[in-house]
Amino acid sequence: MTLEHCLILSAVLFCIGLFGVLTRRNAIVVLFSIEIMLNAANLNFIAFWRYSENPTLLHGPLFALFAIAVAAAEVAVGLALVIAVYRHFKTVDLEKLDTLKEE
Amino acid sequence: MSLQITFWILATVAVSGALLAVRLRNLIHGVFSLMIFFGALAGMFLLLMAEFIAAVQILVYIGAVGILLLFAIMLTERVAEDGGRRISSRGSFWGMAAAIAVFVALLLPAIRQTDLPKTAQTVQPSVEKLGQQLMDPYVVTLEVMALLLTAALIGAVAVSQGGKPKNEDEPK
Repeated sequence: MTLEHCLILSAVLFCIGLFGVLTRRNAIVVLFSIEIMLNAANLNFIAFWRYSENPTLLHGPLFALFAIAVAAAEVAVGLALVIAVYRHFKTVDLEKLDTLKEE
Repeated sequence: MSLQITFWILATVAVSGALLAVRLRNLIHGVFSLMIFFGALAGMFLLLMAEFIAAVQILVYIGAVGILLLFAIMLTERVAEDGGRRISSRGSFWGMAAAIAVFVALLLPAIRQTDLPKTAQTVQPSVEKLGQQLMDPYVVTLEVMALLLTAALIGAVAVSQGGKPKNEDEPK
């Protein structure tokens, strides 16, 4: 297990998340694909920290911790928005959500 | 050697969990495989000696985010009927092409060409140090984070409640 392995794994996970964001039409699936991408970034933080010259500074875990907190806030607000949109349009299909006005 | 084997097992589980999460038609099953992905990533953090982050990953992602997603799906989608509406295969082809292009053209060369450190440092268990760091140099960041989480919580409640509660009392 070298740093390169971790980075490639995280790149693969990021691309899977990107694939989900680009192809799925359900807003919730798009949200959790974004979560996959954020987790891939967290894996990078931890891997770089582990292989850095001075791991006692703990920059990697601290950054990952804050990233996790921001991601949690993001998913809470995002899901609330999805539910509000669903109330209004009665669908979460992103292809049908193409207007800002009342229909 | 056992580290290698564990790494490959966890990597396989994480990648297949993520793939299933973005491809499964049934969204509930998708969220469960997403939870498996989160769990595998927590194992990966343990492998990289970040035990506190692994615990946070399990608590926040599997515990909170997973359940939140389940509730959101149950509140919006009629799961029994059409669990997932996928885009046509053509769209999925172009999406996969774009994702693979990003991987091959952008990420892989960057990883290959960078001169990466080869050896892992020996790391002591770091929870105590992490707590001290959060209190000493990073206390402002921590407070800002707490403020952000509070604002997100209030905002989520306000947005998802919808409508205008004040108008309910008005005569129609």
